[in-house]
Amino acid sequence: MTGATETGVVRGRASTAKTVAAAAVGLSALLFALALAAGFELLSLTGRLAGVPTIPLLGGLLVTLGAAVIAFGAGSRLELVETDPSRSAGLVAGTLFTGIWFVVTGLVASQTLGLGTVGWLAAASLGGAAAFAVTALPREDVGSTVPAGALAGSVGLVMLTGGIGPDWSWSPAGFSDAQSVTVFPRVVIPIAVAFCALVVGWAAAKAYGGFGARGRHLGAYLLIYLNAGSIIAVLFVLVAFVFAKGIDPVMAGVTVGLGVGPTTTLAVDLVIPFADVRLFGLSYDVVWPVSWPFVMNGASILNDVNGVWPAIVGTIWLVVGAVALAVPLGVGSAIFLTEYAERGRFTQVVEVATNALWSTPSIVFGLFGAAFLLPRFTPTPKKSLLAGMITLGFMLLPLVLITAREAMLSVPDEYRDASAALGVSKWQTVRSVVLPAAMPGVVTGVILGVGRIAGETAPLILTMGGGTFVTVDQAASVVDSFQLTLSPPFVTNPELTQATTALPYQLYQLILANVGQSSGIENMDTFRWGTALVLLVVVLSFYAIGIATRQYFRRKLDYE
Amino acid sequence: MSNARHDAATDGSTDTGTATDTGTDVDTGTDADDDTDGHTATGRQHGTTTTGETDERIRAEWTDYEFAGDVALSVEDLDVYYGDEQALRGVSLDVPAESVTALIGPSGCGKSTFLRCLNRMNDRISSARVEGSVELDGEEIYQDAADLVALRKRVGMVFQSPNPFPKSIRDNVSYGPRKHGDVDTGLLSRLLGRDDEETEAELVERCLRNAALWDEVNDRLDDNALGLSGGQQQRLCIARCLAVDPDVILMDEPASALDPIATAKIEDLIEDLAEEYTVVVVTHNMQQAARISDQTAVFLTGGRLVEYDDTDKIFENPESQRVEDYVTGKFG
Repeated sequence: MTGATETGVVRGRASTAKTVAAAAVGLSALLFALALAAGFELLSLTGRLAGVPTIPLLGGLLVTLGAAVIAFGAGSRLELVETDPSRSAGLVAGTLFTGIWFVVTGLVASQTLGLGTVGWLAAASLGGAAAFAVTALPREDVGSTVPAGALAGSVGLVMLTGGIGPDWSWSPAGFSDAQSVTVFPRVVIPIAVAFCALVVGWAAAKAYGGFGARGRHLGAYLLIYLNAGSIIAVLFVLVAFVFAKGIDPVMAGVTVGLGVGPTTTLAVDLVIPFADVRLFGLSYDVVWPVSWPFVMNGASILNDVNGVWPAIVGTIWLVVGAVALAVPLGVGSAIFLTEYAERGRFTQVVEVATNALWSTPSIVFGLFGAAFLLPRFTPTPKKSLLAGMITLGFMLLPLVLITAREAMLSVPDEYRDASAALGVSKWQTVRSVVLPAAMPGVVTGVILGVGRIAGETAPLILTMGGGTFVTVDQAASVVDSFQLTLSPPFVTNPELTQATTALPYQLYQLILANVGQSSGIENMDTFRWGTALVLLVVVLSFYAIGIATRQYFRRKLDYE
Repeated sequence: MSNARHDAATDGSTDTGTATDTGTDVDTGTDADDDTDGHTATGRQHGTTTTGETDERIRAEWTDYEFAGDVALSVEDLDVYYGDEQALRGVSLDVPAESVTALIGPSGCGKSTFLRCLNRMNDRISSARVEGSVELDGEEIYQDAADLVALRKRVGMVFQSPNPFPKSIRDNVSYGPRKHGDVDTGLLSRLLGRDDEETEAELVERCLRNAALWDEVNDRLDDNALGLSGGQQQRLCIARCLAVDPDVILMDEPASALDPIATAKIEDLIEDLAEEYTVVVVTHNMQQAARISDQTAVFLTGGRLVEYDDTDKIFENPESQRVEDYVTGKFG
C-alpha cells in the first residue's frame, strides 16, 4: 500500500490496462489517418476495407475506442488500475465538452427528432449541462474519459447501425432553393471521424499517462503531433495531387539518346564594337541527348507535343530581373536604416510604410506598373518584360527590406564594437562583419519573396503578358539580344521591351480565357495540369537554390 | 540623506542603459560636493554612506604619482556625462609606457568609462559627452582633427566578454591588418600574384604566439573562432588586438567571464605584454590588480579618482582611509 500514498520515482512496469490505453492511442491515430485519407478520397466510403464496408468499419472502430476509454476511466475510478488523477478534469476541458455536446444534442434534437426551437434549445442545454457535470464534477479519470468515450461511441454507433450510410444526405432547412446546401457522407464522415479520433485519442493518451500532470502532458502531445502530422499530410497530398495529374502530359514523348534533342548553337563572335567588323567567330552545335517536348517546345500546330518553354524562360527572367532590382535596393536601405540612420520617427515611418507595401494586393502593384511604367519604355504604352520585372521587383522590395533589417538588428553589437576598437571604419565593419552575419536572414527573406512573386499572375496580366502560346523561337532570349550601339544609351536590348509570357500567366489564360485550342493544343485539361506541375517545380527549384545559398552563408558562421 | 544617495545611485545605472557595457554604469552620488565642503561639514551629516564608505576629502597629492619612464597617455581634468548624469569628475592621471596600470574600484565608479575615453569608444554612445584632455604621446586625441581610425589602431581594446567574429581563427587575427590594407589577400591581388599570404601567415603565428594561444590552435586555424572555449576566445581577442600593432592595450575586465585557469593564463599574458606594450586594465578583482600591475588607480563612488600610486603602496599603505577600506574589503 505504500505505493498508493507515496509518489514513486520509477513508474510501474507495463500492465494490461496500460497496454489497452496504448492500443487505444494507436487506434485513434490510425482512425485519424483513415479519416484524412477518406477526406482526400484516397479511401472509398462506399467500398470495403479489409473485407468490411468502410463506414460500418469506421463506426465499429469508434465504438471500440469509446468503450475502451470509458472502461479505463471506470477501472481507474474503482482503483483497479493504478493512476494518479487530479480532483477534476478542469474548467477548460469542461467547457469544451459542454460546447461539443451542446452542438451534438442540438443537432440530433432539431434535425433527427424535428423538435422546434424551444425543444432543441432545451435538449441542447440539457446535453451541454450533463456533459459539464460529467466532465468537471467527478475525478479527472472519469471526467476526461466518459464524455470523450460517449461521443466516439455514439457517433460510431450511428455509423455502425447505418444511421449514416453511403446514401445518406442532409439538406439543412432554412436555405432558399438557389442557395441550397446538401451535405454528403464524403464530407461528414471524414470530419466526424477525425474529430472523434482527436477527442478520444486525447482521452486515451491521458489514460496512458495515468492522468494527472503526466497524463495531461501526453494528451497535449498527442493533439500537437496529430495536428502537425495532418499539416504535413495536407502539404504532401497537395503536391502529390498536382504531380499525379500533371506528370503524364509533362513526360509525354520524352526520349533519351544521342542526338534526339534539340540543337543548341554555342557561338563566340569577336566583333569590334560600333564598327561592325567581325574579327573571328566560332560556332559549335550541341545536340542534347534528351528530348523533353513539354519542357523544350513552344506551342505550334506543327508540334507533336506542345510545350511551355517560352513560359519557363519568361518566369525565370522575371525572377532574375526582380531579384536583381530588389535585393541591392532592399539590402542597401536596410543597411542605411540600421547602421546609419538615427533610430526615431523617420525609421518608424519607413517601417510602417514597408509593412504596408508588403501587404498591398498585387493587383495594385500591377495597376501602378500599367499606369506608370508602361508609357515610359516605348513610344506607345506597350506591355514588356522589363515592366514586369520592375513591377515584381517593387513587390519583392519590402520583404527584402524588412527581413534584411531584422537580420542586421539581430547581429550583436559586440561585433561592431570589436571592429571599431580595431580602428576599422564603419562601412568596412558593415561590409565584413555585419553583412556576413546577417546574410542567412537576408537570403531567407529573398526566398520567401521569390516564392510569392514567381507565382504572381495579376501584375503580369497588366504589365507583361503578350501572346500566351508562342513558338519556341519566340522565347525571350535576353542574353543574346544585348546590342552595342554608337549613340546613347549604347546598350540596347529589344527583348526586354517585348511582351512575353510566363507560367502563372499562361496557366491563367489556359483556365479562364480558354485560349490555346487555336495553337494546336488538343487536350486542354491535361495541358493545364502539366503547366501547373512545371510552375510548381520551377518555384520549388528557386526555393532549393535559396536554401542552398542560405546553407552556404550559414556554414561560414557556424562552428559545428 | 542616505536615502537620497541611494536613489541617485539607482537612477545613474538606469539612465545609461544605452551603454553596451555594464562597466559603464554610472553612479553619481549627491555627496559630490564633499571635497569642497570638506568632511567636517558633510561628514557630520553623512557619517558613512549606504555602502559603508567613510566620507573624507580627496587630496590632490594622493593622485600625484611620480615615475621615471615615458608617459604613454596623459589625462587632464576629464569629465564625462551620460545625458545629465556625470560619470567622471575631473580625473587626471599619467599612464607610464610599457607597464601595467590597473584601474580598480566598486561597480559604477566610472573606471570602465575612463578606459573607454582613452580610445574614444565613448563616441559610440550617443548620450555620452566628454570634456577635458587626453594626450597620446603628447598629441591631443579630443580634437576635431583627430583620426579615430589611426587612434584606435594605436590604442587597442579587449572587452569584458570575449567577442570574436564568427569567422575562422586566422581571419579573426588578420581582420584588422586586412581592413587597414596592411595585408592583402583579396581576389584581385591573388590573381595578380602579389597577395600577402605569407605575410599573413607570419602575422597570425606571431600574434597567436604572443597571445599564448598558438600551441592550442595551430592545427585548426581555419576553424570557426566561436568553437573555442571562453578563455581561448579571450586570448584570440587579445591576439586580434595585437595584430594591428598598437602602442597601448586597454582591457576592460578581461578575465571576469573566465574560470581560474583561463584567468591565470590571461594574467601571465598581461605581464608578458607589458614588456612591449602599455597595458591599462580595469578589474574588479583586487588580488588580480595586486598580482599583475605596476601602478594602481583607485576610483571610488562618484566618478572620482581617489588615489593613484605604485601598486605596492596602494595595497600596503594607502593614503586615503576609503581606499584602505576598499582594498581590505570593508566595502565595495
